[in-house]
Amino acid sequence: MRWLRFAVLILLATILQASLFADLNIRPDLLSILLVFFAIYCNISEAIITSFTIGFAADLIGPAMGPQMLSYGLFGTALAYLHRVITIKRMPHQALAIFITVLLADAVAYFLAFLKGQPIAPNIHTALLGISLYSSLVGPFLFLPSAWWIRIKTNRVRRSLR
Amino acid sequence: MLAGLIFLFAPQSLTNKFQFAFARIFSWPLSIGRSISLAARIQQPLNKEPSNNREAQYQNYIVNLEAQLKQERQKVEDLSGLRNRLPLQGAKLMLADVITASIDRLHSELTINRGGDDGLVKGQFVLADNSIIGSISDISSRTARVKLFTDPTSKIAVKIGKLNVERVMQGSSNDSAKIQLLQTEHKVKTGDVIYASKKGGFLDAPMIIGKVTQCKRDDQNPSVWDITVTPVCNVEKLTGVAVIIINPR
Repeated sequence: MRWLRFAVLILLATILQASLFADLNIRPDLLSILLVFFAIYCNISEAIITSFTIGFAADLIGPAMGPQMLSYGLFGTALAYLHRVITIKRMPHQALAIFITVLLADAVAYFLAFLKGQPIAPNIHTALLGISLYSSLVGPFLFLPSAWWIRIKTNRVRRSLR
Repeated sequence: MLAGLIFLFAPQSLTNKFQFAFARIFSWPLSIGRSISLAARIQQPLNKEPSNNREAQYQNYIVNLEAQLKQERQKVEDLSGLRNRLPLQGAKLMLADVITASIDRLHSELTINRGGDDGLVKGQFVLADNSIIGSISDISSRTARVKLFTDPTSKIAVKIGKLNVERVMQGSSNDSAKIQLLQTEHKVKTGDVIYASKKGGFLDAPMIIGKVTQCKRDDQNPSVWDITVTPVCNVEKLTGVAVIIINPR
């Protein structure tokens, strides 16, 4: 794992999420997409570290500190363990993994934020569904450039090299 | 995991410092990203009629003056000649640049480059184009977060047009807010001006906050109105705002 490249990628995604995509009504969640990417393509210990780090980055631009760090950390770790028994290589599978992970991780994060005293928006269900759906549609297409940047070899890359 | 739990249970005022520090350190790339986003939006053909910012500012200014004049007349009638200072006289407007704006279905917030060191405190009203757009919700020494009145978790006391009734306006998604529980016996129509109510220490006179864009009977309770209010300035394109400091140090 190239940690410097990882840090640059996460920083870039955080800044893009907080500036370029911030005004969009429904937007893809870049950090959640990266969470799934690293959970799928890294080993368990790396996936755990990256999940909590991405959660911390999401908290920095979120409504409160802590909820997303815990939620992303837990779901990233769970996905990494799940990936040992279920292969998530094809694009539709990756899209489904992103959809479920974003939906659950964000739902738990908002619940934890609510426990912390943050008010919850009344339209949270539709918003979460929209973000999850958008992320799952966009996410798999971001996996290849992310893999190239981090220098992780995905199956698709290997196949093309043969 | 432990760090996450510590962040979760630590006081909000403490953990907010990390968020404000991030906004301050990366204010430059964040501003660039926001500028690109704004530029992309400006190039897109807008469905709304082209808004003239300067004209909107003047209109809002006139509406505010009318509200202040009305209040002063009321005071003159009540006090019959006793002298009183003008609304917002002595108040200070602290100009601030917008660092980040988060306007989606779940949040409508801005981060500005002024904070506690500049005399800002929680609850102060924020102006743009001479209209109220929200209030300070969180603060650090050099940055502050503005919760817009269209934020789904925002509640603000407002006065409706020429009616002398106050109601609570709650933010909803899609850059608008709702006023509910107003009986249909009150005459409200599309285009009526909504004023932010006076609030001791924060706002001396009512100021324009938005306009009624839809007024229909509530689906669940037909005896009350379901009023939709939209801002009178384009919040998404804001690059600078002004914070009202009523009693500057």
